[in-house]
Amino acid sequence: MEDYELVRRAQAGDARAFTTLVRHHERSLYATAYAITRSQWDAADAVQDALADAYAGIRSLRDPDRFGAWVSRIVVNECNTLLRKRVRVVPVEEPPEPQAFVWDGPEDGMDLMRAVQRLSPDHREVVALRYFRDMKLGEIADVLGCPTGTVKSRLNRALASLEAAMCPRTEEEVSR
Amino acid sequence: MNCSDVRDQLESYIADDVTDVESMRIAEHLGRCEPCAAAYERTRSVVADLKGISDAFVPRDRFAPRPAYASGPAGGWVWRTIAVAASAVAIAAVGALSVPAIARELPFGVAKEFDALEDRAQDLQQQVDELTVRLETIDGEQVAMVDTTPGDLAPEEAAAVQQLAMDFIRAQYAGDVAALEAMGTDRLKADLAARPGDYVRDGAEGLTFAQMTEPARAEDGTYLIFVRLMDSGDWSESQYQEDFEIKLIDGRYLVDFMGMDA
Repeated sequence: MEDYELVRRAQAGDARAFTTLVRHHERSLYATAYAITRSQWDAADAVQDALADAYAGIRSLRDPDRFGAWVSRIVVNECNTLLRKRVRVVPVEEPPEPQAFVWDGPEDGMDLMRAVQRLSPDHREVVALRYFRDMKLGEIADVLGCPTGTVKSRLNRALASLEAAMCPRTEEEVSR
Repeated sequence: MNCSDVRDQLESYIADDVTDVESMRIAEHLGRCEPCAAAYERTRSVVADLKGISDAFVPRDRFAPRPAYASGPAGGWVWRTIAVAASAVAIAAVGALSVPAIARELPFGVAKEFDALEDRAQDLQQQVDELTVRLETIDGEQVAMVDTTPGDLAPEEAAAVQQLAMDFIRAQYAGDVAALEAMGTDRLKADLAARPGDYVRDGAEGLTFAQMTEPARAEDGTYLIFVRLMDSGDWSESQYQEDFEIKLIDGRYLVDFMGMDA
């Protein structure tokens, strides 16, 4: 069933519809939160809190087609709230093995995720929303409350950093 | 298009977030500029890898909503089964009986729209009837029969339900929680106490009642009515719908459930 219909059912009080909706989005929401918070536990907390807020406020969502952007905004806000509360420094270089979620991707995928986590907070956000949440530039600008041009330039700079970080691999690609 | 323009647009080009004309120009440039083609290949590769990792996080603790405002039978099955028909019904069922009750409240332009809608009501009613029949067989589920035929309810009964819905909406925009409480059943009061933010609205000065359905009565006696509104809220679409379930308790009409709809 499409998100649109699930949102409408959830708005009518159907908890199962909301659960199904969450299943469509949770992986990319975790990836987004993990990229931004750089901590698996913070990511899990942020997503859980965001989804509880989304469930409580689902009836305030006027356009069911906008659920993806709407829930992304809630997750980003939760992540930033958590980050502001944190006084400890989260170690990025040698993170513990993920335990809040199971990694079900390619072996070198976590290397790229760690490269994303080493970006500046502004850059982590745009990369996560663009590639994990699959959002348009205009939607990201709405969520972050900044001009589309800013999103675009942040993305370009973030990608340049990621290309540099993953350099050995990209050289191999180019030489093919 | 020079190299600098192309580099600036590469990310959007890869994400297919450029116009057709831009896309053609970039493709043409990449075909003849080796350094840009190499840059394209590097970026495309990183983007492809990034997209590949978003689905790789499988959470151990799955989110399970608590039944915070889970509705009882009326809020559940009635709305679920008629939700797909809601917008069509909202347009179609503005019948003769609903007009006098609210026409007094409407700006002249909107009242004129009602006249036009009345003219179309007969054709539209047929569509509603067909819709109702179709609803019976969706997925083999047992579907609530909601009779939206105008004239089914006594005029004073219909007017009272419509009046309550409008009063409720005005109180929402006035931020008058006490008035909302006074118009609600115990169930609504509890929900209102838990989530007042779901009820109170801004933008009273822009509030317009665009359309309203003829109230319908479900099998269990619950009245259903949809009201389309326009306001000057933040969202780009300021038009939306409120769906009401109204019950007659001890001779008083009370709102039992209010949900928002696109």
